[in-house]
Amino acid sequence: MTKTQETELSFPAKYRLTGEMEGCADEQKLELFERLLKTREFDARMRKLFRQGRFEGTFYSQIGQEACDVVIAYQLDQQDFVGPSHRDLGASTGKGVPLKNLAAQVYNRVDSPDGGRYTACHYWHPEFWVMNPSTSIVMNWVAATGAAFGYKMLKKDNVAVAFCGDGATAHGDFHEACNFAGVHRLPIVYVVQNNLWAESLPVALTTALTDLSHRADAYGFPGISIDGNDVVETWNATREALKRARSGAGPTLIEMKTYRWHGHSDIDPADYRSDDEVAHWMERDPIPRYEQYLRELEVLSDDALTDVRARIEAEIEEAVDFAENSPRPAPDGYLSHVYAEDYPGFEFGDRNPGDANG
Amino acid sequence: MSAPERGGETTYLEAIRQGLWEEMQADDSVFMLGEDIGLYGGAFKVTDGFLDRFGEHRIIDTPISEGAIIGAAVGAALMGMRPVAEMQFIDFMSCGFDMLTNVAAKNRYRWGAAVPIVVRGPAGGGVRGGPFHSGQAESYYAHTAGLKVVCPATAYDAKGLIKAAIRDDDPVIYQEHKYLYRRIKEDLPDEDFVVPLGSARIARPGRDLSIVTYAAMVHVALEAAEELAADGAEVEVVDLRSLVPFDEETVLTSVARTGKAIVLHEAPRTGGFGAEIAATIAEKAFEYLEAPIVRVTAPDTPVPYSPPLEDHYLPGKSDVLEITRRLLGY
Repeated sequence: MTKTQETELSFPAKYRLTGEMEGCADEQKLELFERLLKTREFDARMRKLFRQGRFEGTFYSQIGQEACDVVIAYQLDQQDFVGPSHRDLGASTGKGVPLKNLAAQVYNRVDSPDGGRYTACHYWHPEFWVMNPSTSIVMNWVAATGAAFGYKMLKKDNVAVAFCGDGATAHGDFHEACNFAGVHRLPIVYVVQNNLWAESLPVALTTALTDLSHRADAYGFPGISIDGNDVVETWNATREALKRARSGAGPTLIEMKTYRWHGHSDIDPADYRSDDEVAHWMERDPIPRYEQYLRELEVLSDDALTDVRARIEAEIEEAVDFAENSPRPAPDGYLSHVYAEDYPGFEFGDRNPGDANG
Repeated sequence: MSAPERGGETTYLEAIRQGLWEEMQADDSVFMLGEDIGLYGGAFKVTDGFLDRFGEHRIIDTPISEGAIIGAAVGAALMGMRPVAEMQFIDFMSCGFDMLTNVAAKNRYRWGAAVPIVVRGPAGGGVRGGPFHSGQAESYYAHTAGLKVVCPATAYDAKGLIKAAIRDDDPVIYQEHKYLYRRIKEDLPDEDFVVPLGSARIARPGRDLSIVTYAAMVHVALEAAEELAADGAEVEVVDLRSLVPFDEETVLTSVARTGKAIVLHEAPRTGGFGAEIAATIAEKAFEYLEAPIVRVTAPDTPVPYSPPLEDHYLPGKSDVLEITRRLLGY
């Protein structure tokens, strides 16, 4: 029995990925795999550390949904703007944000990009143009729309990517942002991760639609619904949408069907879902599906996988060590971060108005 | 979870739950709507068991749409219902701000129609909730004519005030303090009772200084007063219970008796409700004052997340002791 046959036996054939990843070189395929796996392993480790009481506050696991974030974020340039929601770890890891900064964010220590002032698992990094997500649902979506508007005004080639969940599509501001982006043909890709549950609310109580991409019809730009746990399909759809955005053809709405394995936060046992449903989706785990695809293409070998795992393990160890040793914020450290004169902070863009006439 | 039992030792959270349950039982026009309140029983389990008892036509799990939740409540109220809308966190009431401040608040003024809605939800810090899950929203809504604002500090008041709020014919913002949910409890009477809106209570009597406060800060004031009693100082603690209506008489009577006043709240200082209290005392009890009125509040920042930061942010016993000692010696 060959190795491939063994893998096929242990993995349902119906979830087998097929087709080409357009314009994706073998080394990119492999690097993408590494970022997906890194996202998974880091999330699992942080979740475990939370359960061991290693840091205070809360924890939002993304496990199960990684491909929705990582695949598109991986394709972005450094100065493409990303508007993630809470939980969107992959929006940062996909773009290459180092794990140590993300670990310090979760640990709410001084080396967090927000210095511990902001809630855990709101992953971001200013140098990577990943904005600090808003706990208030869908506000990152609106802000990313504004960033795309900024790029258009400044005549830049960059694009924005906004993420939200199925629940957020019921919010009025979702509609206002999409409508605005349609009117102005903004360079933005909207990603709705439909994981079937908005905290405890089943998607059927969020919307009467079956495919959330149909909302795009109302805004005058294309919408598409895909299997967000299929890396190949996700790659091709996001690549096309990014091309559209960069070429000035306007926004695209992509609904990615996916599933969050764990509760809304880690204090949520998620007992509103059936075990069968969870098992059904765990079988559709995006990472083994992609691993199998790469093995069939002979892009990923056992040796390469060993190397990938070793690198990931080393970076996670380093990140955990970094976060645990990062000091807690000085108690009054939050007082000087409210107004610009106290805290110049950082800027994503260059405010030189000359750029507008570039 | 089974039906709440009336009376006995009751937590603040269970008291709210009892009050809601009893009003739902007593009045078919009362119904609830909000995010995750049915199947999940609410983010803090305030409505646990309600779906089983009252059914999905009266316990409505809504989409994440605060504007629609408050708007639906307003419309249903116009049709004769008494809706109770839950905001999962009081911070998110701002998502329905227009419906509350322009529509609900001005409805009676514009066309005389009562909008007997209650918008309730958890507020306040101390639970490591971060900037979006720890806020106090009372000042926005106290500033809007047409809305009433309730901030209970005890289990007794939590129950009595939610019942009064539901029976009230005006829109009421009922701000629960999430830090108190499971941390305080007391014996409640077996019989039906309400606490009328607009009646402050003397949480602890004293003759040397008045601390005027509400919600979780009542307990901070009481701890400080207890410690000061050991030094022989008698500090009076006034718990407002509701900000609108504001029980001016109880506050002014207290200050007239003690001659000194501290105004204590958890929300940030600038434009906080404490300024309104202090101004009222200055206007109407000036001749009785023996010292400046001093506010003890959170600083003018968002609520930070990391524990050392949040502990510094929240007004605590030591802040109250410091200011009280200074004023006692004034």
